[in-house]
Amino acid sequence: MGEVIVVTSGKGGVGKTTTTANIGTGLALKGKSVVLVDADIGLRNLDVVMGLENRIVYDLVDVVEGVCRLRQALIKDKRYPNLYLLPAAQTKDKNAVNPEQMQKLTADLSEEFEYVILDCPAGIEQGFKNAIAGANRAIVVTTPEVSAVRDADRIIGLLEASGLRNPMLIINRIKMDMVKRGDMMNIDDMIDILAIDLLGVVPDDDFIVVSTNKGEPAVSVEQSLAGQAYKNIVRRIMGEDVPFMNLESDDGFFTKMARLFGLNKKK
Amino acid sequence: MAENAVIFKGTKEGLYIILKEDMDLDTIKSNLDKKIKPSKRFFEGAKIMNFKGKNLTQEEFDELKEVIEQEYGMTVAGSYGDKYYDIKSEGLESKKTEILEKLPFEDVHKGEALIIRATIRSGQLIQYKGDVVVVGDVNPGAHIRAAGSVIIMGALRGIVQAGVSGDYGTFIVAFKMQPTQLRIGDIITRSPDGKGSKFNNPEIALVKQGMIVVEPYLRNR
Repeated sequence: MGEVIVVTSGKGGVGKTTTTANIGTGLALKGKSVVLVDADIGLRNLDVVMGLENRIVYDLVDVVEGVCRLRQALIKDKRYPNLYLLPAAQTKDKNAVNPEQMQKLTADLSEEFEYVILDCPAGIEQGFKNAIAGANRAIVVTTPEVSAVRDADRIIGLLEASGLRNPMLIINRIKMDMVKRGDMMNIDDMIDILAIDLLGVVPDDDFIVVSTNKGEPAVSVEQSLAGQAYKNIVRRIMGEDVPFMNLESDDGFFTKMARLFGLNKKK
Repeated sequence: MAENAVIFKGTKEGLYIILKEDMDLDTIKSNLDKKIKPSKRFFEGAKIMNFKGKNLTQEEFDELKEVIEQEYGMTVAGSYGDKYYDIKSEGLESKKTEILEKLPFEDVHKGEALIIRATIRSGQLIQYKGDVVVVGDVNPGAHIRAAGSVIIMGALRGIVQAGVSGDYGTFIVAFKMQPTQLRIGDIITRSPDGKGSKFNNPEIALVKQGMIVVEPYLRNR
């Protein structure tokens, strides 16, 4: 039985889809068998971010409704043979499936794959309930903004209420120079409010825009800072102990970066 | 019952108000009000040629004329007793329906077509039992399914499925062919990965030897 991980946030635009794509690709790079499930029915994006849009014939709703077999709807990634995508339907809405159907679907998928990663829609309605129904782990993505943190807090409460204990936090799009100047919420404050384990911090990186538009997740590109951060997150998901960055230090930019990515471990 | 006591009829000469014969003046007036009120601005300034149908007395004519001119801001051009001929004996209804069919070809496809003048956007699904013509673009994420052929008079960027019930003789035409996916019958083809060359001339997609082939359909372009 593989792990079923839902990537959620409450607020829109914080990077759920980007995170899903990068974690999935990162795990596949590590040789794991992974399936990404787009639970955002009606506003699907994961296929575009993965660059697989033009391969979609059947989708999640077709599987649930029995129009096709699960195997037929799975799209094999064009780069990694052990990475698959189950796309959402675009012409339907969230009510096309229910939590029980999602539970069965994720259970079926977790029998075949080591990791099932669900890209949850924004909001706390039907789509959210569907996405978390079959999950046994949750990753909450937030950005260093009061509104995103507030929504993340709400989501953590809902996750715990539905039995998903110990969700993990990813802080996305942080700008280290702004945090240092005190213009951006710092990581400790956010962890203080949300009181869950930190899985990783992803720096704001222009390269994400490029990679999203190209349909190639940043994690596979060496020179991307965000990509490196996602690599570390992937290692932590797999159970490795990878050190975090130290924001308070007065070291130069490169030293800080090096430490952030665990290249310069302090003895 | 008294629904259609008043009918507006446009003719070559201008606008006529046709009054049903067996209606009394009050019903006519309230009907007029019901018809004009909701679109008062549309009628304002309109010139009414005359009344037809019910034979009005001089008093009734004057009363109606006053109501129309004072309350609705229209003018009545004709006067009482003007000769008018019965609307049924002329005008559109009596015009012979011209047989519009003369074709120099024989194997012409005649069928039902759905014509849409709009941009078809992501998440919109158009399904039709015949041919589909879109006067506009089809965006990525939009889906068109037709039993017949599909013609896009704009850019095709989404998914189009022609001949859904298995007709391989159908085709897909677009002024700008940049689809996510094309399907004819059960044959599927997708755009090549990466940025394909943007060919800006009209193209047709049809089935040749079991494959979907996309090619320009106008010569010398």
